[in-house]
Amino acid sequence: MGLLNFTREPVPEAVSADMHNLNQLSAQQFQALTEVLFHFLTEPKEVERFLTQLSDFATMNKISLGPLKNIVKSILLVPNGALKRNLSSEQVRADFIALGLSEEKASYFAEQWKVNSPTLTRLAVGQTLMINQLIDMEWKFGVTAGSSELEKVGSIFLQLKLVIKKGTQLENVYVELTLPQFYSFLHEMERVKTSLESFS
Amino acid sequence: MAALRDGDFAALQTLLKAPSKDAVRQLCQECFCSPPAALGPLAQRAGPGLAVSAEEAEQLVTALHNLTRHVVYRGLTRAEDILCLFPENFHQNLKNLLTKIILENISAWRNEAQASQISLPRLVDMDWRVDIKTSSDSIVRMAVPTCLLQLKIQEDAALCGNNPVVSALTVELSKETLDTMLEGLGRIRDQLSAVANK
Repeated sequence: MGLLNFTREPVPEAVSADMHNLNQLSAQQFQALTEVLFHFLTEPKEVERFLTQLSDFATMNKISLGPLKNIVKSILLVPNGALKRNLSSEQVRADFIALGLSEEKASYFAEQWKVNSPTLTRLAVGQTLMINQLIDMEWKFGVTAGSSELEKVGSIFLQLKLVIKKGTQLENVYVELTLPQFYSFLHEMERVKTSLESFS
Repeated sequence: MAALRDGDFAALQTLLKAPSKDAVRQLCQECFCSPPAALGPLAQRAGPGLAVSAEEAEQLVTALHNLTRHVVYRGLTRAEDILCLFPENFHQNLKNLLTKIILENISAWRNEAQASQISLPRLVDMDWRVDIKTSSDSIVRMAVPTCLLQLKIQEDAALCGNNPVVSALTVELSKETLDTMLEGLGRIRDQLSAVANK
């Protein structure tokens, strides 16, 4: 086996056998299995659903679930590595062929990879570490009518509640701004937006 | 907020013993700025200069505090309004001097009252920077711009006395979050304009 694109480490022994078994599936069966796999990859939280769909596939095609799970584990090695390394669909196809999958099946999988890769990339980027991520912002503004020191005031205040994710917990931060501060804040945020857009 | 009491004006006449107009001016300033709890020590400091007893000094200082705070509270800006506060038999020249001093200071005092009113923690400063994320454990090569925003927030001044606690909070925003935030801020600006134009 030549150099693979999706990984630098040696591939587990079982993978060749799993690819061989995959080749035994009909084109239709392989397509159905690929669909189940991409459903899971694009919605990784739906583990229950994935396992149910796998089990249904096994029953319908008279394959034992245990070996099927191993095959799926082997297949998933490629898209996971490919995502990390921003591989093109040609590279994915080449890797599957190198692992022993038939050209026809490898091409089909690579096509599906191409179709799904924007979604998958966005998911991977979304998982990237963020420090104190701003989740939500609530605001209210009003007029201070009076205080214990000033009978009539009439000044405008703006209150922001920032919901921040610190590690796994959410924290609320309350801030008050005066009107000039608000305009200055707005101005700065617009500058940030321009800056972010120039880099996108 | 202190209300004017009957004995206050009598106590104010003690000012006639003050060495100079500037001394009166200085005392007015200090009495306004001092919170009620600090009036005792202030009286002790001021007493000797006026050659009055400790008790008289304390009454004077309290009276001056009440008078200045009352004027600021009511938002009086005209000499006539302030002069009206004094009883008929109050010393003319002293009345005029006090009114003059108060008028000189009224807008600075009003600003100070507004600046020190209770509020939620206040924003005192903000800084930002834009980073480009080039790599992470989930994806080896990318070019994702992200914004880091640092807000310096000061706790309520009234709670901290002379040592306000300023904390710095650094927050990360993705482009989407920033867009949503700007949308919200834009709505605030529109509503503010609508209110201003009414």
